[in-house]
Formats: sequence, C-alpha cells, structure tokens
Amino acid sequence: MRTLFHAAALFLAAGLAVAPAFAADGEQLYKFYCAQCHGLQGKGDGPNVVKDFPVDPRNFTRADEMNKLSDADIRNVILDGGPVANKSPMMPPWGKTLAKDEVDALVKHLRVLCKCKGKS
Amino acid sequence: MRRTTTLWMTAGALALASGAAWADAAAGAKVFQAKKCTDCHYTDGPAREKSLADQLAKKGPELWYAGSKFQKDWLGKWLQDPNPIRPLKYNSLTEKNTGGHPKLAGAEAADVTEFLMSRTSPLVKGGEIKPKTNPKGRLVFTKNMPCSGCHQFPGQKFTGGMNGPSLAKAGERLNPDWIFAYLKDTKTFKPVRQMPVFAGVLNEQDMKAVAEYVATFK
Repeated sequence: MRTLFHAAALFLAAGLAVAPAFAADGEQLYKFYCAQCHGLQGKGDGPNVVKDFPVDPRNFTRADEMNKLSDADIRNVILDGGPVANKSPMMPPWGKTLAKDEVDALVKHLRVLCKCKGKS
Repeated sequence: MRRTTTLWMTAGALALASGAAWADAAAGAKVFQAKKCTDCHYTDGPAREKSLADQLAKKGPELWYAGSKFQKDWLGKWLQDPNPIRPLKYNSLTEKNTGGHPKLAGAEAADVTEFLMSRTSPLVKGGEIKPKTNPKGRLVFTKNMPCSGCHQFPGQKFTGGMNGPSLAKAGERLNPDWIFAYLKDTKTFKPVRQMPVFAGVLNEQDMKAVAEYVATFK
C-alpha cells in the first residue's frame, strides 16, 4: 500500500513537473502567427510587408508606443482585429483561431519584445 | 453490330488521342510512393496536425483532399512543370521559394493526377460556386479583411503579401467550391495554419462572394 502511495505521489510530481511544457508558448505562437507581418524580432518588418503594403504593422520594440497600450488593449486587437482600435483591417481578428491561454501568452510575449509594462 | 464496332473504334481513337484517358489512379498511387512524394505530402485524411510543432514538421502541404481542391487540368500540367505557388519556402518566413519541386513525365503525371483527384472531401459540394466578379467579394478580399496581406492577387498597385500561397492565378488552380468550403470549415482541412479562421467573422454570403471573386483570378 505504501509503495502504491509513493508511486502515486511520484506520478503526480512528474505530472506537475511536465505541466508547464503544455502551456502556450508565447514566443512560438508569435513566430508562427504574428511574425509574418510584424517580423521575427517584432520590428514590423515581416515578409508580408512588401512595397505598397497599405499599412505599417506595429513595431513591438518601440517601448514608447507600446507603453500607451494596456494589456487589455492588445488583447482586444488580437481577438477582434485592427478596426476595433480604429486601426487597419490588415490586422486580422484572431478570436476564432486562438485559445484564451494562447492570447494571454502572446500579450506576455509582446511585453518581452517591447521591454515595457504598458498602461495599467 | 458493325455500327457498335465503329463506335468502339472511334472511342478508342479518341482516348488514344487524349492520352489521359488511359491514366490510372492505382498506378498513380504507386508512382507517388516510388518518387518519394510521400516524404513531403500525405494523402490519407483526416488531417493529422494537432500542434504548431506538427505543422512545422511538415515539408509540404497535405494532399488528402487534393481532388476537391484542385482543378484537374491545372494539376496535370503543374506536375509536369511545377512552378512555385508560394513565394516563400513552405514553413519559412525568411527563405524564398526558388522552385525545384520534382517534375513528372507525361504518363506518370497523368497517373498521379488521377490518384490525387481521387482524394476528395465530402465537405466540398460540386457546382455551388461559380467564378464571378462581384463588388462584395472584392471589398471583403481587398479592404474589409486582410486576405491580400498574405496572398498575392491581381491588384492594381498593391499585389499582395508573400507568406500565403499566391492566389494570382487561383482561378486556374483552385476549385471554387473548395475555396468556399475551406473558408467555412477551415480547421477540418487545416487544423493548424497561419491563416485566421473567418467562420464566425464572415457570414456564408460573404464567404461565397469571396470564393466567387477569388475564382476569377487569372
């Protein structure tokens, strides 16, 4: 019985240790979904931004600009697209694509890129 | 009897002239294996990708619904002369697609075309969407939604972004019914992709209008 208990405890501990690996990885999500327009380093220069692209995608490394936005502002634009903040419809609505924890992870990653906390 | 024989001979001559009439899906499946097409493409559904890592591990697009997606004439020609469809390499944001997809000779291309055209999805209805220049589709594609941000298209000045497959000649390549089905049921065809899900953002009428509009690109 005691062995069984230990085995169960070990199993549980292993599970807990592994758990973070299943959490949404903001950097990986960013590179897959966002970098195509915002660039791998977040400078707004992804491969879609060709000559005559109708808008300049946001440069996430500009702390001064990113500080004007709260996390909720960023989340809303990710979910509903540019027009929700009077910005370009070239920023798509990702609300039907990404799960809530993925959007949260992306917001966190943008704060890493801007090295800023944003408006509270 | 004589009339029947003549009829059969005529049919045979016509088939010989067209060449493709002898193409055989089972032979095409063997060519597909032998030429190692399976290294980059899978042809049995449903979709296998469950995570970003699954998608990033793929070397080329899935073909399990190729027969619903492509136009047969286009596919037969493309397999013999495969010009890049994507401006960038598959799953890359930094490398240009310089071509180099293996080519198939005439008879093999015809067999593989038959094989791929046999890979279909019941979600794609036949003959529902016809190519049609329409203001609503154009407005959604070029202004209201960001389609042109990733897909090349026959625009006036801005001709589209680089990361998606080019749609510049989509009217020759894609089955218009598939375009609509894909917009409506994106996740079934591609559970993990860089294109947003538009179902629930656009209504069916808008999606139909976009499919009709994209099908005119030539």
